[in-house]
Amino acid sequence: MPNSLAYTLVITGAPWTTQAPQTALLFARAAVSAGHKIDRVFLYGDGVHLASSLNAPPSDETHWSQQWADFLTQHGIPATACIASALRRGLVNETEQARYELPANNLRAPFEIAGLGEWVEGSKAGDRTIYFHGGS
Amino acid sequence: MTTLIVIDQAPYGSWSGREALDMAFSLAAFDQPAAMLFTGPGVNWLRKGQQPDELGQKSAEKNLSAAPLFGIEALIADERACQQYGLSSETMLSGVELSSNIQELLNGHTHVVFAS
Repeated sequence: MPNSLAYTLVITGAPWTTQAPQTALLFARAAVSAGHKIDRVFLYGDGVHLASSLNAPPSDETHWSQQWADFLTQHGIPATACIASALRRGLVNETEQARYELPANNLRAPFEIAGLGEWVEGSKAGDRTIYFHGGS
Repeated sequence: MTTLIVIDQAPYGSWSGREALDMAFSLAAFDQPAAMLFTGPGVNWLRKGQQPDELGQKSAEKNLSAAPLFGIEALIADERACQQYGLSSETMLSGVELSSNIQELLNGHTHVVFAS
């Protein structure tokens, strides 16, 4: 497709606190169905809460973390939570659990944890970087 | 790629500004041109003599003073916001550029990132 663009999405608002993850997901679905490519999703600041495997909303509410995880898996899109944001907010994988001797880990697959370098690389390589903030 | 990181919130009230600062430092660490614009209440980041010890937070002033050392190309303050918040060259960190044409500044960068 000649007009296809490659996007990096950055989400900084937490689910069930802000609209940011929902808006980003709706954008991502629309972009993919229009033939565009999502190169990477980067969670920053409060946005890292989206990657928690412990979110358990009431059954009649949309499970945004699950919906995002399903979308990412279905389309093979890599998603990264910023390590500094994640550690401050209690989001860790097995490696960080071991490193900081924490009692548990809670990173939802297929999300990964890495540094801001992933955001820099994504912004450099793609056509557009779009930010989804919570507003303040 | 040239990136302008925009901080429009006062320091110490939330973490978003601090995390925006980390983004700027990260760009510089990966040799990507980065500048920072302070506007609205965000110009208070540039105030001299900040004393955040009693808040239990690290000094934003100290972070910003180190910015040129880490390769951040410019710290830019919105001149109108400085007037509004009573910031002058005497009360501001040294080395800050003033801008009265924000539109031109935004247009001059390929990427613009707002802190929140």
